[in-house]
Amino acid sequence: MSFRDAFALALKEVMRRLGRSVLTLMAVALAACLLTALVLISRTAETEVLRQLAKGGPLASIKVAAAAPDPSQLANDNARPGSPRDLGPQAARAIGQLPDVTSVVPVITSRMIFVPGPSAGRSEPPYFYDTAVGADLRDPSLLPISVLAGRLPAPGSLTEVAVTPGYLERLRLDPTQPEKVVGDGLEMGSPRVFADLEEQTYRALWQRTEIVGVVAQEAAPGGIVTTIEHTRRAQRWSAASDADTGDLELSDSPYTGLVVVTDGLDRIAKVRRQITDIGYSTSAPENLIASVQRYLNVVEIVLTAIGSIALVIACLGITNALLAAVRERRREIGVLKAIGARDRDVLFVFLIEASLLGALGGVLGSLGGWAAASVVGIVVNSYLTAQGLLGVQLGPSWGVLLLGVLGSTLLASVAGAVPALKAARLPAREAVNES
Amino acid sequence: MAAGAPISVQGLTHAFRSGSGSVSALDGVDLEVPAGGYASLIGASGAGKTTLLAILGGLEPPQRGSVVVGDTDLFGLEGDGLARYRRSTVGFVFQHFGLIGTLSALENVELASILTSLPRRARRARTLALLHAVGLGQRTTHKPGELSGGERQRVAIARALANEPRLILADEPTGNLDEASAHGVIELLEQLHAERGCTILVVTHNRAIAGRASQRIALSQGRIVPASNGPSADRESFGLDRRSDGGRSE
Repeated sequence: MSFRDAFALALKEVMRRLGRSVLTLMAVALAACLLTALVLISRTAETEVLRQLAKGGPLASIKVAAAAPDPSQLANDNARPGSPRDLGPQAARAIGQLPDVTSVVPVITSRMIFVPGPSAGRSEPPYFYDTAVGADLRDPSLLPISVLAGRLPAPGSLTEVAVTPGYLERLRLDPTQPEKVVGDGLEMGSPRVFADLEEQTYRALWQRTEIVGVVAQEAAPGGIVTTIEHTRRAQRWSAASDADTGDLELSDSPYTGLVVVTDGLDRIAKVRRQITDIGYSTSAPENLIASVQRYLNVVEIVLTAIGSIALVIACLGITNALLAAVRERRREIGVLKAIGARDRDVLFVFLIEASLLGALGGVLGSLGGWAAASVVGIVVNSYLTAQGLLGVQLGPSWGVLLLGVLGSTLLASVAGAVPALKAARLPAREAVNES
Repeated sequence: MAAGAPISVQGLTHAFRSGSGSVSALDGVDLEVPAGGYASLIGASGAGKTTLLAILGGLEPPQRGSVVVGDTDLFGLEGDGLARYRRSTVGFVFQHFGLIGTLSALENVELASILTSLPRRARRARTLALLHAVGLGQRTTHKPGELSGGERQRVAIARALANEPRLILADEPTGNLDEASAHGVIELLEQLHAERGCTILVVTHNRAIAGRASQRIALSQGRIVPASNGPSADRESFGLDRRSDGGRSE
């Protein structure tokens, strides 16, 4: 019997006992829905927690400081840096050529004076000192920066900046409404010390900018994020000071730091050792991430097990329904055998019937699970947004959906094996003469 | 259409286990039906008719003796071998019709040939031709529940012929029919036998039907007996055997 004919026969039998089929299918669909939703939610939670740990950057990233390493700190996530050491393009290139390193993004920070423009609720704009963090923003996904509102400055721009929640706090703005600051003006002054025989004076190179976004960032200490071109220009201006008064934090290092992305979490320790050998201090949240990941994996296993148990129970419903069908269809099975069906033909028809219920239930359940997880995502997002936090992103995980469908189908086939074998082994004569 | 298959049974003995002992169903049965023959098998309930039919039809392997149908020796055949024999050599007509309620008349008849390697188009053409041959060309899409008893048995006969069998085994084919329908069904079987030349063995309680066959075989307590010594001829017309043993196992 061809698959097509067996499928057509199985489909007709499913349709024949529509009520029972629908109930069985619903049980499988609900279980698959529960499994899919639980896995999707736990996966999203894991991604979100790790994203928070990595501050929006890649999980497998290492921060390199313009400082000599302290080899005894290698196992620490936040190693204490040694004495300052120049970090330039040559060192960046050497690190970039290490095996297991995907990318190297330089970061330049510059101490600056900031004068916020007029904004609602503030009559007199204050001024303050802070550090501007400049990075190559062509590929922000390589940096530990996550956008809370608005966007990042355009790559190469000298007139766009993003601020951190620390900026909102400094200006006593509502941190739960970061979007309100987007569009405000911000003047940035790079200080330089001019000294003659008698006195030292400060003069600043001013740049009027616009705040285009609010970000959480861990690329380097500093409350303002801008482009590397901007901070490089500021750094050069300040570096030309006649004297270092200390508060400008002047450095001869071309880069303040590097963000190094590795091929994976398991490569971080090795790459950190190699960078230490090159002579720079590193830090990475690898231990924290690995530890959190272990706990999250346990949660995921537990949730998957709960969903799987539900699916197994639902599939036992398939066994029950098919056993009843075998009892009711003994004569038909006998007739099938009388007209020449082999035991395996009968087995095949019943297995297809079970798989059909499993597959249909799996499809409906997986889609339902995704919808349920999306609803949960919307509720969670509204809570997070109310708390001034970044929302979660729950996309359709095709792998999980496919797993739901295939898992249901496979489990249903296994559940259908007992009744299918029972049907296949029915003695032909006994079955055909069944009243 | 292949020629009818001769039946040759020698010393067939068959028993069923029952509780701690065994019950003899057939006891040294010898039987010959020529190729293309038309035989009837009569006997009281429990005489062994259904067992003999099941063994000849490959529904049950013989225990002792020799059973040869056409060029197939059924002794030693089991599982797939018996299934292949049933598919290629035998066509069954049951008292209970044996139709599948979810399938249309066309699909029920076609069901037999989906077990063969016949191409889809060819088997559909053959099925339609068979339904026309049994007078149901206009009822192809009807399901068994929408057909009369006589029409259902006609569908069953068409299905029995679907794989061009060399042997038709009809177990009380009129048992569930009224007199007119029973008459029509028997005439149809005889017409198809004449046209196609297949061997036919009809199990019946009805002596009138049995009497139409060219060869009458009577069974009593698992043994072949002279036809005149068979069960009492108390029903001489079609359709009066509605409350017979119903084709149950004996």
